[in-house]
Amino acid sequence: MDSGFYSAFSGLAARMDALDLVANNLANASTVGYKAQHEFYRSLSAWLQPSLSTPINDTVNHFGVLGGANLDLSSSSLEPTGNDTDVALEGPGFFSVQTQNGLRYTRAGNFSLNAKRQLVTVKGDLVLGDQGPIQVPSGTLSVSPDGTLSVDGTLVAKLKIADFTKDTQLTPEGSTYFTAPQGAAKAAADVSIRQGNLETSNSDPVRSTVALIEVQRTAQLMEKALSIFHNEFNRTATTQIPQV
Amino acid sequence: MDRALYTAASGMQTQQTNLENVANNLANGSTTGFRRRRLQFQDLMYQNMVLPGAASTQQTTYPTGLQIGLGARTAASEVIQTQGDIEATNNPLDLAIQGQGFFQVQMPSGEIAYTRAGSFHLDSTGIIVTSDGNQLQPAITIPPSATNITIGTDGTVSVQLPGQAQAQQVGTIQLATFANPGGLNSIGSNLLLETTASGNPIVGTAGGAEGLGTIQQGYVENSNVDVVSEFIQMILAQRSYEANSRVVHASDQMFQTVNQLTS
Repeated sequence: MDSGFYSAFSGLAARMDALDLVANNLANASTVGYKAQHEFYRSLSAWLQPSLSTPINDTVNHFGVLGGANLDLSSSSLEPTGNDTDVALEGPGFFSVQTQNGLRYTRAGNFSLNAKRQLVTVKGDLVLGDQGPIQVPSGTLSVSPDGTLSVDGTLVAKLKIADFTKDTQLTPEGSTYFTAPQGAAKAAADVSIRQGNLETSNSDPVRSTVALIEVQRTAQLMEKALSIFHNEFNRTATTQIPQV
Repeated sequence: MDRALYTAASGMQTQQTNLENVANNLANGSTTGFRRRRLQFQDLMYQNMVLPGAASTQQTTYPTGLQIGLGARTAASEVIQTQGDIEATNNPLDLAIQGQGFFQVQMPSGEIAYTRAGSFHLDSTGIIVTSDGNQLQPAITIPPSATNITIGTDGTVSVQLPGQAQAQQVGTIQLATFANPGGLNSIGSNLLLETTASGNPIVGTAGGAEGLGTIQQGYVENSNVDVVSEFIQMILAQRSYEANSRVVHASDQMFQTVNQLTS
């Protein structure tokens, strides 16, 4: 059968996955510290014969396979909450968190204190300072822009802010945690922390809605291509040629 | 294949919960001592199609992976611990706490509950009780003949009795605080219970070193709900719900398209 049939099929399957990515970005539009993922496509065959270059072949070829999803690490707007233990990172960098499965990184600064007065994430994992977990004595907590925690003027600890080079492969893990390859984290150079604020999700509803339309329409195009290969070529070949 | 449907459904569910929370905050806009809550969302697990760094050939690796997230969930509802507005009522048994402390009250079960709502009354025997009739702890009895009740910033309760020049001290209100007040369990009627997350109560005198705050007689603490920010949350929840429902629609249409392929 026509190879175009399979190309259109893989294109349609890729659209299904792309829709899942768009759905996830939209579902997390209110998740503090969430970083959106944007899909990109790879061409099916690297080199298309000029004689075969028709609009439909080009579309099927150039957008054939879902290549992957780029993590959009751009900062998002801050939302004031008024809670002392809520902190937001304004520039690059990640908070370091100690979980049962090892070191994790997050942009979600919606921390609180546990019964031992340790600074923890929403999941209850310990937030790390330069000297390990942070225990906060009772009193009024203030966090300075460089991440220094103090209670009633007494120094407590300094938040451990990790930064990564552009080519570091960060892997989202759920619960707004990211994992990074071992040894990739380095201390962030210039940190700007805002106390009493949270960083909102950077998933842009406009971009997601446009992506949604695009995915839907290109899926229709692939379907049309499939239908042409199926009905016009193959059915004609199997039913009408024998009648000649 | 139908991941997008479930992902969008999870988004709709979280936004629905968000709206429910806004509704509760707004409904309690005039509740004495109420502290507003803010929902915390988290992304769900990721399905790994291509792990970043996986080998694409013997010499090269994929610079970016393909990980598909499976939606969002509500992780927690954080209590916003900012002080509400203090309103003057001039009622001698209206008390506001300026600081982080809580009043202790005894529930009918004998269990101690904690509250910020300081509008107290006297019961038939002269004991100080909440609007629901729960006794303030430690129990303080005001003699029926008392003409004047004075409560100091440190919680000392004294009364003026007829025929006596000196005020008579009848008890001291103690306050409690917790390592993590956000971990208290709300049971309604302005009452909170201690949990393992909140830690044990630290009981002490108002104005003391424990940071419990001071007691202000003749004032009540209003709810800390901010109507403007609740409305903004409401709009966000509504629009986000709409966007997620569009994904359901798109997903449905794509299925329909696929189903019509062979016709």
